[in-house]
Amino acid sequence: MVTLDDSQGEPDWRRRRFLVATTSVVGAAAVAAVAGVMVDSLEPTAADTAAASTTVNLEPIEPGMQVTVPWQKKPVVVVNRTPAMLATLKETAAKGLLKDADCSVPQQPPYCKNEYRARKPEWLVMVRICTHLCCIPHYRPKKASVTPWWLGGFHCPCHGSMYDLSGRVIKGSPAPHNMAVPEYHYAKDGKTVTITKMYPEAHLC
Amino acid sequence: MANFGDWLNKRFPLRELMREHLTEYFAPKNFNLLYYTGSLLLLMIVMQFITGFLLMAHYVPTSADAFNSVQGIMYDTRWGWLIRYMHVDGVSLIFVLLYLHIGRGMLYGSYRKPRELLWIVGYVIYILMMGEAFLGYVLPFGNLSYWAGQVITSIIQALPAVGPALAVLARGGSGVGTATLERFLALHAVLWFWIIAAAIFIHILALHQVGSNNPDGIEIKENKGPDGHPVDGIPFHPYYTVKDIFGVGVWLMIFAAVIFYAPTMHGVFLERTTFSPANPMVSLPDVTPPWYLAPFYAMLRAIPNKDGGIFLMILAVVLPFFLPWLDRSPVKSSRYRPVYRAMILLMAVTFFTLAWVGEQPPLPKYFLLERGGAAIYVGFYLLLPFISRWEPTRKVPERVTS
Amino acid sequence: MSLIKKWGILAVLVAGVAGVTVQANADTLMSPPAGYFNKPAVIAGAKLFAEHCSACHAVGSLRYERLASDLGMPKASIVKDVMLPNGANYRMGMQPAMTQAEAKKWFGLPPPDLSHMVRALGARFIYTYLQSFYWDPNRPSGWNNHVFPKVAMPNVLQPWSGIVAKDGKVMQPGRVTPAVFHQRVADIVAFLRYASDPSVFVRHKLGPYVLGLLAAFSLIAYWLKKEYWKDVHDDSSKRKK
Repeated sequence: MVTLDDSQGEPDWRRRRFLVATTSVVGAAAVAAVAGVMVDSLEPTAADTAAASTTVNLEPIEPGMQVTVPWQKKPVVVVNRTPAMLATLKETAAKGLLKDADCSVPQQPPYCKNEYRARKPEWLVMVRICTHLCCIPHYRPKKASVTPWWLGGFHCPCHGSMYDLSGRVIKGSPAPHNMAVPEYHYAKDGKTVTITKMYPEAHLC
Repeated sequence: MANFGDWLNKRFPLRELMREHLTEYFAPKNFNLLYYTGSLLLLMIVMQFITGFLLMAHYVPTSADAFNSVQGIMYDTRWGWLIRYMHVDGVSLIFVLLYLHIGRGMLYGSYRKPRELLWIVGYVIYILMMGEAFLGYVLPFGNLSYWAGQVITSIIQALPAVGPALAVLARGGSGVGTATLERFLALHAVLWFWIIAAAIFIHILALHQVGSNNPDGIEIKENKGPDGHPVDGIPFHPYYTVKDIFGVGVWLMIFAAVIFYAPTMHGVFLERTTFSPANPMVSLPDVTPPWYLAPFYAMLRAIPNKDGGIFLMILAVVLPFFLPWLDRSPVKSSRYRPVYRAMILLMAVTFFTLAWVGEQPPLPKYFLLERGGAAIYVGFYLLLPFISRWEPTRKVPERVTS
Repeated sequence: MSLIKKWGILAVLVAGVAGVTVQANADTLMSPPAGYFNKPAVIAGAKLFAEHCSACHAVGSLRYERLASDLGMPKASIVKDVMLPNGANYRMGMQPAMTQAEAKKWFGLPPPDLSHMVRALGARFIYTYLQSFYWDPNRPSGWNNHVFPKVAMPNVLQPWSGIVAKDGKVMQPGRVTPAVFHQRVADIVAFLRYASDPSVFVRHKLGPYVLGLLAAFSLIAYWLKKEYWKDVHDDSSKRKK
């Protein structure tokens, strides 16, 4: 080591330790701030956020028909339900076919926590992804088209999960939950619906 | 902790490395301001690596989308502006440090025996850095990028024998386009970068083999005390680590001031022509390189003949390699060589003047400056063997001065 | 110290070269008034831009929402004063009213996107250009420009500037005073300068904190260095003792 000046004697170790600690803390704070900024830069960009919402024109969708649109790289189904179709929703619940008839699991925003799972009863807006293993269920609106007792709904081709016309899962299906409903709102004139973001508490599959 | 240390050191020579390169690596105690440049360069290059990675996470290397993806970083990515400015301004500041670092070596004779290899490896790093910078500023695909890519690849094309084939290989097609961007990105971020990293590693190892020079040009290893350590040396750690940490703080203030208050440095660090997209139909009003390459560009223009200009430019780039053997003086540091010191000062002024001229439009009124500057630049190296033999020297002290 | 002297000489020489540079670049462009660039001016400029420029020009890189997050403009004001009633999206870049096809038909070339124009040409150029239109009956639009000869763009600011002949003679005065005209052009330039570099207000806000933190770090590191370097002595003084 370096020769020490006799007149000064032993260095002030306490002061040195203190200064080393202070420098380290301030330096670490600066590094942490920069690291935070850098991780934050990998978050979705404004371009991604701007492209995140999808608007669907409702006018061409005839009663009883559906369209499926890509939204945030996921299929979203929009169904124009007829009064007869809406009547089946009461029936499935009354017959006790459903795992979660009251929608108590938050698979939908609070404003859709009703038997229609919708803002307006006739329009179903739902992420068309089976909660079992992420397949895309078929739309089967006709009675007895899947099983003799079938009242209309969605049927998953992968593992046979079944849902009613509100996307509520039917007992005996491997799927655990009702299909997810995203957050959406209607235009003032009611002619278009804009799907904005995933309801944070809902899970897809 | 002690047990873990033992466990680790049986398997990895951590303690040994620390001892050899930090606590028992003795550096002269009379370093001045110019000796901060080495550690700062290392820091800056590590930061380029990190910011480069983050930019690459958002960059699209196609001629259609490159410009927009970079503007997307500036406008839409969170903190994208900060990361890009760090990367872009980092380049210019690295070259500021490089020129100070190289100038220091010339000033104190750090290229002389036994540091010839250290000098050569260092100079190779400088040349590689110029290439890395060029590859990098083609990527945003502004109009400057496009025309810089055209000009440089046509310089490559003019090289004897291999030129045309090499130019096609560089462009990846008949012109500068998507293929060029893809391979430039791959080179810039992977191959070229890691070659630089390896060269830096060799540079530091070579430095630690011969030890640092100092402003007096005295070999501290030749004067050892009874403990076997150089009398004028102090352990790198803790003395130079704490000193370098202080240097880092001050330097980062300069860096931050540039980024937050003058990120384009009035068009010097980030040129105006980078803000319009590449356009093969519209040539730039005048194609000028970034300031750090401008001196060589000025020499390219000093001879109004394509092959002659390229020859002079390559000569200017190559000459410093031979510096260790061109200097014949018995004394290293310019502190004790008044004539040599004046020559270096003249050289520094010439270099800045050439950088300035290189940025000017190609007008005849600058010919005198370009040619005079080129003559002084080349003359420095060609006359050094003769001047260094007869120049008067002052007596070099036995111990370093503070 | 000789080193300091040396650096001094070098600095003077470099400053000399820099001085020559500035002189060489001296030209006839006008500068916007000092202090023209601030948030209220940018907001005023954004509204003027929407009214007079965005019929033809996009600012595609700048999303409308940035006017709220960077400048503090209320969303209602952005929707009412800046966004055009042509289905522009609040989260998307600023679009022109005219479509590309129409632009091609009317002007031959679509008017350029102005996102980076101030950085590409400089604020002084834009400021001067907007005030350099003169009446030229030989041009299809009837307009020519002193700093951009044969420009395709007509003088859309004519209501403010009036009509001026090539020699500077006022053929028809503007509806506002020249001072108001300069002021409004300066506001538009302020907006375009912001649009070309929207990080500017964030940078200027954060700058002092970053520099402060680094200054504190440097100060502590300086004390640390000084403390350790007490060990290192000048041997000549030691020998004297």
